[in-house]
Amino acid sequence: METSVTIAGFISQLLVGLSRAMILFIVASGLSFILGVLRVPNVAHGSLYMIGAFVAHSVATAVGGSSGFWLALVAAPLAVALISLVAERLLFCHLYEREHLMLLLFTFALMLILGDLTKMTWGADYRSITAPPFLQGSVPVLGTALPRYNLFLLIIGPLVAVGLWLISTRTTFGKIARAAAVDREMVGAVGINVSWVFAMAFVLGCLLAGLGGALVAPTVSITLGMDHTIIIEAFLIVTIGGLGNIWGAMAGALIFGLTQSLGVLFLPQFAIVFPYLAVVCILSLKPTGLLKSVW
Amino acid sequence: MLQVENLHKSFDKFKAVNGAELTVNAGEMVAVIGPNGAGKTTLFNLITGQLKPDHGRILFRGEPITGLPAHAICRRGIARSFQIANIFPRLTVFRNVQVSVLSRKGLGYTLFTPAQRLVVDETHHILESVGLIDKKLYVAGALSHGDKRTLEIAIALGNEPELLVLDEPTAGMSPEETESAMVLIKRLARDQGLTILFCEHDMDVVFNVANRIMVMQHGRTIAQGPPPEVRGNLAVQEAYLGEVD
Amino acid sequence: MIANILRSREFILNLLVLLALALLPAVAGRFYIYILSVILVMGLLAMSLNLLAGHGGTYQFHHAAFYGVGAYTAALLITRTALPAWVGFAAGPVMAALAGLIIGGICVRLNKLYFGMLQISLGSLLWIIVLRWYGLTAGDDGIHGIPMPAFLSTSTGIYYFVLSVTTACLALMYLILKSPFGATLRAIRDNPQRCEAVGINVRRHQLAAIVIATFFAGAAGVLFVVLESSVYPDMLFWVLSLEIFIMCLLGGWFTFYGPMLGAAIMVALRTFVGSTTEYWTLILGVVLILLIFFLPEGLMGFDLRKLIRARRRRAYPSVPE
Repeated sequence: METSVTIAGFISQLLVGLSRAMILFIVASGLSFILGVLRVPNVAHGSLYMIGAFVAHSVATAVGGSSGFWLALVAAPLAVALISLVAERLLFCHLYEREHLMLLLFTFALMLILGDLTKMTWGADYRSITAPPFLQGSVPVLGTALPRYNLFLLIIGPLVAVGLWLISTRTTFGKIARAAAVDREMVGAVGINVSWVFAMAFVLGCLLAGLGGALVAPTVSITLGMDHTIIIEAFLIVTIGGLGNIWGAMAGALIFGLTQSLGVLFLPQFAIVFPYLAVVCILSLKPTGLLKSVW
Repeated sequence: MLQVENLHKSFDKFKAVNGAELTVNAGEMVAVIGPNGAGKTTLFNLITGQLKPDHGRILFRGEPITGLPAHAICRRGIARSFQIANIFPRLTVFRNVQVSVLSRKGLGYTLFTPAQRLVVDETHHILESVGLIDKKLYVAGALSHGDKRTLEIAIALGNEPELLVLDEPTAGMSPEETESAMVLIKRLARDQGLTILFCEHDMDVVFNVANRIMVMQHGRTIAQGPPPEVRGNLAVQEAYLGEVD
Repeated sequence: MIANILRSREFILNLLVLLALALLPAVAGRFYIYILSVILVMGLLAMSLNLLAGHGGTYQFHHAAFYGVGAYTAALLITRTALPAWVGFAAGPVMAALAGLIIGGICVRLNKLYFGMLQISLGSLLWIIVLRWYGLTAGDDGIHGIPMPAFLSTSTGIYYFVLSVTTACLALMYLILKSPFGATLRAIRDNPQRCEAVGINVRRHQLAAIVIATFFAGAAGVLFVVLESSVYPDMLFWVLSLEIFIMCLLGGWFTFYGPMLGAAIMVALRTFVGSTTEYWTLILGVVLILLIFFLPEGLMGFDLRKLIRARRRRAYPSVPE
């Protein structure tokens, strides 16, 4: 069997992989942030990503046109943030004193509930939206045609990364959140309302999931079941990057996205297997992840 | 019986043990003393295999045991009790000791015989010798602190050791409890021919009970010998200014 | 001894339940027989997980993968080779145990959480391979219409087969838990460091437990094939792994029958709630949340006998005479 790998094909796949990695990063960074501060894997993260996509679809089709898309990009993360805030204040915050297993269970129950609520609200049909005309078409890059939307993603991704990093290291909230991740009791003893810090951290992480969902909406068909597949990918990315480490999430997302897209050049049918293989290799050699973990 | 030669262990540039030396002869009760932070518990962890030394040698009955995993060292005949009560909280007192005896007899992989039929007499014997036989059905996590420390020792005895390493066996005990604990330990040592290595802060206990004393400071051995010799040692007195009980 | 009488009373109780289950086809219709078979299979799977999770304290986060390996082994051997069905049935648990040995061997040198995460990645790798290898496993479609021997073509026949295999497996599990191996396993759960200090090779013990547990998971997988005559990739998906974990927690994971009870609840919920509304997962989610808030030890944590025994254990004079 011959594989015809041309330079153009290689670069094309490279760029596709990078763009996909950006979406994976945005979702995974939210998961990693929550994991780092609250020390709980948010199983409902995928559901919030899915809801982000559905809300983006509704807003974009309701308002229509270019402005519809941009509005959706703002509305979806906010809607998801609101949902997560409600869940957190109503139920989640009462569980912080409990065993981690209970927190995990709660997020799983939340995933089940959100999944069905999504089905109730939007039904089981496939949906799709198209990118605004400004972002359609492609630009020539390095001898290949890069879709404009992918270029857009390649800009947004690092912006989110830098934004998160700034919040994490330069704002008071970020510093408190990082301190609370390491020693919750001390932070509480110093008089800071740890509960609100956790709430904000949770909401921020979920907002990122919603943003990821809104961004991915023009590129895939929006379906139920998106939640299950994205969460395992995001979780594996977080583990190979280092728990709670934002740059680790970036590294993990790049590995995941690129191994898959470049794998298409060699074994198209099994391309999706390569990221999982990469994860296994990395975790076997460095179980704590590539970069420093918060734990 | 036990020979520790020039042992070194660092944690991220902090030298916890810096050239420790120790000799324990068969049948002796040897105490390791020293100010807080002198490296006593680290030394014990190195001897019983919870930690691996950076340099140095540990010989047990003439054979090197340096760097072996804890379970292998235990199988050679060294048993250990811990400074913080390290028992099996959800299991009964009986089961706590029985697990140890089962391990000693190599029965840990037996699949199809009920555990309650095996090594019952041996387990009862140990519980009787430490005085916990009445409480054998109690859940270990619910015991008093003193009883937990006694259970610690009982679990260690389950291994039929030749050398018993006790890390601060009377920590946190009242004077009466300390008295009865040391009486117990001395009796066990005599009846079962055990060699005992322990570390302590309570100087009365140490000078009354030990045949030989090793003094540590900043991870090094600064003196080793019978109690009168150590008491008269100037370096020891300096190290202990203000520390004497 | 009192303990003996209690034990034989339990034994008689178990025997009666078994008798009732065996006589059920005489009174109940095909539907209920089928549901009970599903409960037994899921219960066996959950109990095999609980050997490791509840009794062993191991973070076995992707147990369903071994269930899938057992099922696919049986399915592939039956459909792709001319070998008789019972070879497929026997090979399923063996392959699952082999997978357990390999994956467990890779993971067991890690502690707790990292063990779990590596296992999730390995299990997910297995899942994605099964999903994508159309040539071997028919991928997303799964394999359907797997032919079964004659005695397994009626729902009653299937039920008795499932019942006998499950009973045999449960009896073995009971013996293993009561044995010195089981006692050592529980000690490892409580305090692995102390176990090392007592001469127990914790890693080797855990690996042995994993092989045993995955063997039973593979058996459950084979029973699924018998029951449904099909296999599909979602049997190795992480969602199922989490679901069986929840079955253990629901029923009480420090007890023997807890996971079986948890499985019964989940299957009953899915069947009976699912027949009235398509949103049964919502109900399940709500039930879980209620349980989290009100019953942390699971339903069987409130077993009355245990409560009495626990009171007796804790009642002792607080001041020594």
